[in-house]
Amino acid sequence: MNERGQRESNRRMLWVDAVGGYLVCLADQVTLGQPIHGRGVDVPILGDLSGRHARIVRDGESYLLEAIRDARVDGRSVERFAPLREGSRIELGSAVKLVFRRPHPLSATARLEFASRHRTQPTADAVLLMADSCILGPNARNHVVCRRWPQDVLLFREGDAMYCRTQGEFRIDGHTHHDCGPVGPNCRIEGEGFSMNLESM
Amino acid sequence: MHEQVVSVMPKGDEMPRHANAHDASAPEQVGARFTYPGGSRPLEGYTIKRGVGQGGFGEIYYAISDAGKEVALKLIRRNLDVELRGIRQCLNLKHPNLLAIFDIRQDTAGDTWVVMEYIGGGSLEDLLDAASGGLPGDEALAWFHGVATAVAYLHDHGIVHRDLKPGNIFSDEGVVKVGDYGLSKFISCSRRSGHTESVGTVHYMAPEVANGRYGKELDVYALGILLCELLTGRVPFEGESVGEVLMKHLTAKPDLSALAEPYRGVVAKALEKDPARRFASAGEMIAALPGPSQVPPGGARVGSGSANAASGRPDATVSKPTIVLAEPVDDEPILRAVLDAWHQLRTAWRDARLATPLKLIILVVGLFVVLAMAGTWIPLLIVSLFAYGVYRVIRALVRPAVRAVDARRAAAQPGAKPPEPPRAEHQAARHESRRRWHRRQPPAKEVAAALVAKPPRQRLTELVGSMLGAAMVALAMCVVMVLLSSYQGTTTRPEQAAWLALVSVLGSWAVLVPAKFWEGTPGEPMLRRFVMMVIGLAVGAAAFGMADSLLVSLPPGSEYPKPPDYQLPPSFFAGDGRPLVMAHMAAFGTLFLVLRWWRQADPLRSSRLSLWTLAVTGVVAAVVAGVWHFPQPWLLMVAGSISVAVQMAAPWENPKAVAESG
Repeated sequence: MNERGQRESNRRMLWVDAVGGYLVCLADQVTLGQPIHGRGVDVPILGDLSGRHARIVRDGESYLLEAIRDARVDGRSVERFAPLREGSRIELGSAVKLVFRRPHPLSATARLEFASRHRTQPTADAVLLMADSCILGPNARNHVVCRRWPQDVLLFREGDAMYCRTQGEFRIDGHTHHDCGPVGPNCRIEGEGFSMNLESM
Repeated sequence: MHEQVVSVMPKGDEMPRHANAHDASAPEQVGARFTYPGGSRPLEGYTIKRGVGQGGFGEIYYAISDAGKEVALKLIRRNLDVELRGIRQCLNLKHPNLLAIFDIRQDTAGDTWVVMEYIGGGSLEDLLDAASGGLPGDEALAWFHGVATAVAYLHDHGIVHRDLKPGNIFSDEGVVKVGDYGLSKFISCSRRSGHTESVGTVHYMAPEVANGRYGKELDVYALGILLCELLTGRVPFEGESVGEVLMKHLTAKPDLSALAEPYRGVVAKALEKDPARRFASAGEMIAALPGPSQVPPGGARVGSGSANAASGRPDATVSKPTIVLAEPVDDEPILRAVLDAWHQLRTAWRDARLATPLKLIILVVGLFVVLAMAGTWIPLLIVSLFAYGVYRVIRALVRPAVRAVDARRAAAQPGAKPPEPPRAEHQAARHESRRRWHRRQPPAKEVAAALVAKPPRQRLTELVGSMLGAAMVALAMCVVMVLLSSYQGTTTRPEQAAWLALVSVLGSWAVLVPAKFWEGTPGEPMLRRFVMMVIGLAVGAAAFGMADSLLVSLPPGSEYPKPPDYQLPPSFFAGDGRPLVMAHMAAFGTLFLVLRWWRQADPLRSSRLSLWTLAVTGVVAAVVAGVWHFPQPWLLMVAGSISVAVQMAAPWENPKAVAESG
């Protein structure tokens, strides 16, 4: 598997019916920059940026922004590294503005949202920097808030594999599972009151 | 036509745009079950990625073309009477405020798909759900302008939208986009096929839809409801079931008390039950509103909506007067009283069952009187205007501190009547004036209680208004009397006419003031009669004073029987038969004692001007004059003038309007 193949397999698109589409990055380090073909940027942003503009690094439970080009966090210019906390405002270049979120106290997974009118390529409603788990559901502290879902759904990783856990019965690609089931890079998960697709990129 | 693109600023710099990407999903189904999962390709050239929402007509999907173009795909299920004509007409419409339609395709299963522009970030419905109490004035107006501009464009091209609602309105990075036009035929099909309708669509439906009439006025009605919801956060007609809401559309008057002018008037006109009485087009409606000023960046904060909800209602209502308020007339009591008196007069003029020739005569004579007495009242007017000007200046300086307190007090008293009842009453009275209500209705307890609970300031305002109105009517009545008497042969001297006018005015005021305090309460009649008698004595004394100072002699009318001279007591009458102060006081005192004058000023009386009451008053006055040997027909004329003036000028609650709102 070449390097690009490995990098690409670290990303998924999570399409949640009636909620939104999310770019899920599984790696501990993600690059942000313009979507220049061949460069393999993890979070391609259609904005006035360099090909590799900045990097977000996850170290255990904490996050750092590594500025390759000009970047600011909470208004202060970043020399090399800056810590990222819940609500940190990231500015890349002159106009691209992002907000860093860590909504769930029990998970290191973070979410990047756009505060400016820029978008990723392909368009996603938010970027999920997934650590071990990603929680979807009606709770306001979830990584993906799905207001009308009856219960929370958990996606978690163990090593290279990913699993889905929720209460009761649900289907993965048509196969019924109880409480927990394995999830591949491309699959459809359907349950009582929810449905979503995972697509590898 | 407005061609400008109206912009609504996005959700602000600090608030992330696609936070949780609430799509415009329908409220009825919790578990959204979409027919096509992500990855399916029912249409050649597009790959569905996920479902976005469901409506009464079908499902919407987010899809990407093979080249990477984002689109929304709307699935219109196959129906027996599929009508593609409607949407085909809309295919090539282009407007910055219309959601673009790219194509219409049919899949191999025979279903129809509409390929259209995809806009993320949720609809206006989601925004309104999150922001309780409506949006800030500028933002609401900007949204409304965008929608109305799009609707005006559609109407200009012969298309009626028919399904305007917040769920169909989006904001594409600040630009308002209206979708789902041309699709209403499908909506009506699916309704008939028995799909469950969400109550949401019914809230914007005009009453004539029940008769199957689909004109442009349908959209104007929906725009009215939308404007109300944008400004207040609630639709005017709500209910537990579809049927209840529909009934309200058909029959109930909307409660627009939360809106300030000019929005209230615009919404009221748009929500007229009769389509012919609404605005003729969306463009007219836009013209009737102030334009949206520059929306401040970060103006549309969803976060501020929840802050409002957290701090409770008073926050929202206090902010309303400063943002939404665009009052053309400052809320100044004296001016309002004068205007209200003017309105009351106009309504009274319309309501009074006077024959047209009589009305004409009154008008002409009134004009003559005004011109004749110009010498006296013009300097008075100038002085009073100057004094009023000074008062206004002082008031404007003192005012800003007072206004906030008033608003908060108004907000804290949910039960108190809003300070617009006279105008609203007149509107109601004007509506109902065609349908006369002759049967006497027992006054509703709630209305009586409301009368009692009226704040004193409002009471005073009404009183002043009535007094001014009574004065004008009394003057007019005196002119009428003079004319009538001159027709009978006796010419009236100007000073006699002046005395008549002055006493009538004084007498009507003497009735209005206590009646205002006794409003709504039954009271003890004998006590009231006693009070009125005392007032009558005072009026009589004043009448004599005026007669004396003006050197008015009141000769008895020639056709009335003269009392024998020896019967006249010397203290009451002068040697030549003129009544002295005691006679005046006795006559007026008795007059005020016998009749229940306060009933003529009762807002809950059955009709505004009752000729029966007038007749009774006249007869009693004649009898009283006869008893006290007061020269006829003067007391009769005065009593008649007072009665007419009081009835015309005192506020009156139309029982039909009361019954409807109760």
